Amino acid sequence: MADTLNILRAGMATVQDLGRFGRSRYGLPVNGALDQHSARVANVLCGNDEGAPLLEITALDFSCTPSTDVLVAVTGAPADLTVDGVVRPQWEPFSVRSGETIRIGGIRSGIRVYLGVLGSFNTPYLQGSCAPDTILGFGRSLRDGDELGLQRHCPPVDHPEYRIPLFRLRAPVPRLPTPWTIDVTDGPDLAEFGDTADRLFRSEFTVSPQSNHIGLRMAGDVPRRVATGEVLSRGVPVGAVEVPAGNELLVLHRGRGVTAGYPVLAVVTATGLSSLGQVGPGQTVRFRRRTVAEAVAAHRSQRNAVHALQNRVRTVFDALRIPSSPARTVPVSP
Amino acid sequence: MDSGTGVVDGADTARGSVVIVDCGDSAVVAKAVGMDAERAWRTVHALADAFGAVRLDGVHGLVPTYDSLLVEFDCADTDHDTVRRVLRHEADRLGEGPVTPPATRRFVVPVVYGGEFGPDLPVVADQLGLREREVVDLHSAADLTVRCLGAPAGAPMMDGPAFPRPVPRLSSPRTRVLPGSVAVAGRQAVICPMPSPGGWPLLGRTPLRVLEDLDADPLTAYRPGDTFRFVPITPEQWDDHAGRSLAVSHG
Repeated sequence: MADTLNILRAGMATVQDLGRFGRSRYGLPVNGALDQHSARVANVLCGNDEGAPLLEITALDFSCTPSTDVLVAVTGAPADLTVDGVVRPQWEPFSVRSGETIRIGGIRSGIRVYLGVLGSFNTPYLQGSCAPDTILGFGRSLRDGDELGLQRHCPPVDHPEYRIPLFRLRAPVPRLPTPWTIDVTDGPDLAEFGDTADRLFRSEFTVSPQSNHIGLRMAGDVPRRVATGEVLSRGVPVGAVEVPAGNELLVLHRGRGVTAGYPVLAVVTATGLSSLGQVGPGQTVRFRRRTVAEAVAAHRSQRNAVHALQNRVRTVFDALRIPSSPARTVPVSP
Repeated sequence: MDSGTGVVDGADTARGSVVIVDCGDSAVVAKAVGMDAERAWRTVHALADAFGAVRLDGVHGLVPTYDSLLVEFDCADTDHDTVRRVLRHEADRLGEGPVTPPATRRFVVPVVYGGEFGPDLPVVADQLGLREREVVDLHSAADLTVRCLGAPAGAPMMDGPAFPRPVPRLSSPRTRVLPGSVAVAGRQAVICPMPSPGGWPLLGRTPLRVLEDLDADPLTAYRPGDTFRFVPITPEQWDDHAGRSLAVSHG
């Protein structure tokens, strides 16, 4: 029988990848892991491609047991992470033996934790991705008792008795500041907000419970559109900051519909979107204005750090004769 | 690299121009300006085709709509300058000749209007100052052109029928609209392919299956430029069409 990862306590968890790329022309949102950086790092730490399927665990406690020996890495928001009661580090890979229980609890500061397994999972794909799409009705939240097919097993690489953590891979761990500072660049319709646009940077905004993978609603001293007239529906990027009505900002995230008819005041940067993927209801956010050049430089620096980590992992895994994961080709062209 | 969204580059021609602006660190927008709506729409869709054919590394999304084209990319794998340069090049090439409309198909879509199939028909008739029969006649009187595909999932966004004025959205959106629902709002018309929330008034519902295979590439049988002709049927005729694919309903 094929090896599986058995979900004991599912909480709120899904199988994710980086998203369904190249389908926006057909009206499909990109979706995928909301904290892309943590998802990439979890995969890289356990020897996978950045875009391999992994678990996105949101807010609630989670536990699972593999039916074979596996190598696991857990990233994202700080949490209490144990294997059969023994504390394990986040942001480093660790071995889990067949039948041991991985517990993730007390998720704090942020709300999303990522769990990658060397070799990843056998999981259904639709339109080039395993990311759930609520409109297509594809993918679902995990349930207690689910069994996810494992593609690989990995003999234990730690000490059989003392279980001293073996790895010191120095993964790039993002800061989780309070309040959150989210970088944005000017949006294409900034001028429509006149003198009120500056309000975006003057005060804090509080994330409402009506926030999800489609977008985050935030209350505060919102800018007002001073221009009038209808905006023709057009494509809006992930990260668009809109003011639909009332006293709320709407910040679009990866599940957003590809077109909208509201003016775009600002656009959250690529690194800012990963941070925003960690922000939970009731938390406060402060926006920081950046130029496009600064935002691009920050994203490249973050991606380069992940590539450098990938090289260190490869070197260490080769030395330990850990079999690396087969490359999965993810189509990205439109 | 451009330092902000204030940077606009445009090339004026006698027939309008394409203006390209940054839209954050991972997207640019090409907008057709100074031309009529039909030419603007043809221009952004032809530009999407031409730009897509280049298959630029790092580009992962193209959203052409009415007068704008959103290009999404990973700015670690490409950069704004490269994307802008290729867009500019392709836009200039389009500007040299007439933008020819692509070959189109015409889909014939049976619809049961009103009642439980189109619960908002009476309200819409009221708002337009028309009888329900007149709303149905106008909605099914002409071929409606698909302008772009939008949410939810491949929904064909069409020019609306020749109603006397725009149709207001529902004040409170439905949490679930059935697949095949035929709706209007503003001066637009749409068929909802998948069950989803929706704020557009519903006039009727087609028994046809709008999306044949969710894993198909392309996802939809129709594409921008194609036309839809709605044909009223009675509730008794629903079963004659139920489950038939929209993909084979062209003529």
